[in-house]
Amino acid sequence: MVVAQQQKTGTFQVLVGKIDDVLQYAIGDPLRYLANWGRLYSLWPVHLETACCSVEVGAAAGSRFDIERFGTLEAFGSLRACDLIIVMGTVTRKLAPRLKLIYDQMAEPKWVIAMGACSITGGLYFDSYNVLRGIDDIIPVDVYVPGCPPRAEALIQGIVLLQEKIRRMPTLSGR
Amino acid sequence: MTVESEYSPDADRIMAVSLGPQHPGAGHFRIRLWLDGDYVVKALPDAGYVHRGEEKMAEYRNYTQNVPHLERPVILDSSNILFAYSMAVDELMNSKVPPRAQYLRVIMSEINRIISHMYFIAIQGLFLGHTTMITWCMGDRDFWIDLGERIAGARVTFAYIIPGGVRNDIPGFAVEKGLNTCDWFEKRMDEYEKIFFDNPMVHQRSDRVGVLSKEDAIAFGATGTVARASGLALDVRKDEPYSSYSDFEFKTPVLTQGDSWARAYVALLDMRESVKIIRQALKTLPQGPVRLKLGPQPRVPAGEVYSRTEAARGEMSYYIVSDGSPRPYRLKIGVPSGKNLKALPHLLKGVHVADIPVIYWSLNYWPVEADR
Repeated sequence: MVVAQQQKTGTFQVLVGKIDDVLQYAIGDPLRYLANWGRLYSLWPVHLETACCSVEVGAAAGSRFDIERFGTLEAFGSLRACDLIIVMGTVTRKLAPRLKLIYDQMAEPKWVIAMGACSITGGLYFDSYNVLRGIDDIIPVDVYVPGCPPRAEALIQGIVLLQEKIRRMPTLSGR
Repeated sequence: MTVESEYSPDADRIMAVSLGPQHPGAGHFRIRLWLDGDYVVKALPDAGYVHRGEEKMAEYRNYTQNVPHLERPVILDSSNILFAYSMAVDELMNSKVPPRAQYLRVIMSEINRIISHMYFIAIQGLFLGHTTMITWCMGDRDFWIDLGERIAGARVTFAYIIPGGVRNDIPGFAVEKGLNTCDWFEKRMDEYEKIFFDNPMVHQRSDRVGVLSKEDAIAFGATGTVARASGLALDVRKDEPYSSYSDFEFKTPVLTQGDSWARAYVALLDMRESVKIIRQALKTLPQGPVRLKLGPQPRVPAGEVYSRTEAARGEMSYYIVSDGSPRPYRLKIGVPSGKNLKALPHLLKGVHVADIPVIYWSLNYWPVEADR
């Protein structure tokens, strides 16, 4: 009797699993594609200037390079609505806890661009007593944009690479 | 405003708020505010988010290796901070910089002054809610960056002015392009005056906002645009002509209002004078070498030196102590932003919360420079 019951639930579970798989193929993939396509061209960056690379972000947001063409919006708004941090340069020991706090406050899915040599390895300031040697010790980084400071074109290329990554994201919820 | 005399910061109705470091109105910088409703009772700036230990780092590197990292604090104004450094090292080494190099140094530092002021006016427009001001200024700033790129080879970090002269000679086509850019920019500045500074919206948002009187400007030790907007004719280029500034004709623009509008407008008047200097220097460029031969590890005689220049934000000074080794024994940078920040708590007292970004940015404060 007990054995039969177990077999019954077993077949039921298999059936549910099959339906789940079918639904995954029928709805899940198109839904994921649609959601990611929506995220792709409306990246809301956090307004966190960490050092001098912010000048090149300003130039990239200006009328010559205009990163809004590529779907990166102006850095104004609440952290809860943001989904992108562009870490603009050197992160010092005083700023590092704030950077982690800001990252934790953002809602999933969220992405990080490390801009400039300082945020990748410490750059010119690798032997300074107050500078972090790369931000990947505290937050996960998606795209590295090298340069000191990177040209506006390099930042745009980084954003396009990030969009490619978002397009191919395997799940709906991000990480 | 009598807010502070009526209420103490400890009273229940006073709310303590932190503005920054993540805030559209204050980048890499924090202001601790005590608010009574919409009024600021007390404001304390909290700097140091970008302290990178430049002065200590300079002690590990020799005088040539110090060039790239010493221009990073003022990436907008990279030539002016290196100008003061190069002048100090030249004086320590008793080297006589050739006249063509002196002229090229002046040209590059004036180009950088325009680049820095354009950024300043652009972000002032952002904080005033004037979209045209940011898009035009950011776009036109790139023409000057292009000119600098043609002369020096890099986009914003030119590293052009080095001890013993300049890094390379100016290419022939850059002279022509520089003169064309000057002509175009003078016409462009007339439009700026009409659209930005005669604008009723800009007047309403920044007239009589954050007024710094002449006495207060002296008491707080303001320099540069902040001092000149308050009626103090402070300009190191005039007071203590360095390099070849005595060869050129230019004025020191002074306004007397001392409010946020005047501090932004004095930057535009500064740029007019810069264009005049660039044009004169490009037309009367002397011939000759542009760089003294220095070894890879130049040895500097023991001694100490103080030098100062007029950077875009104000007086930029260096104090270098040498003990005869290839590295500086002590290097101290005196930055204009640090001097102007001292007026911020005074200016923010009693203002509306909405006026904080305008006042903060009108001081032309650059945290990376102030923290070093």
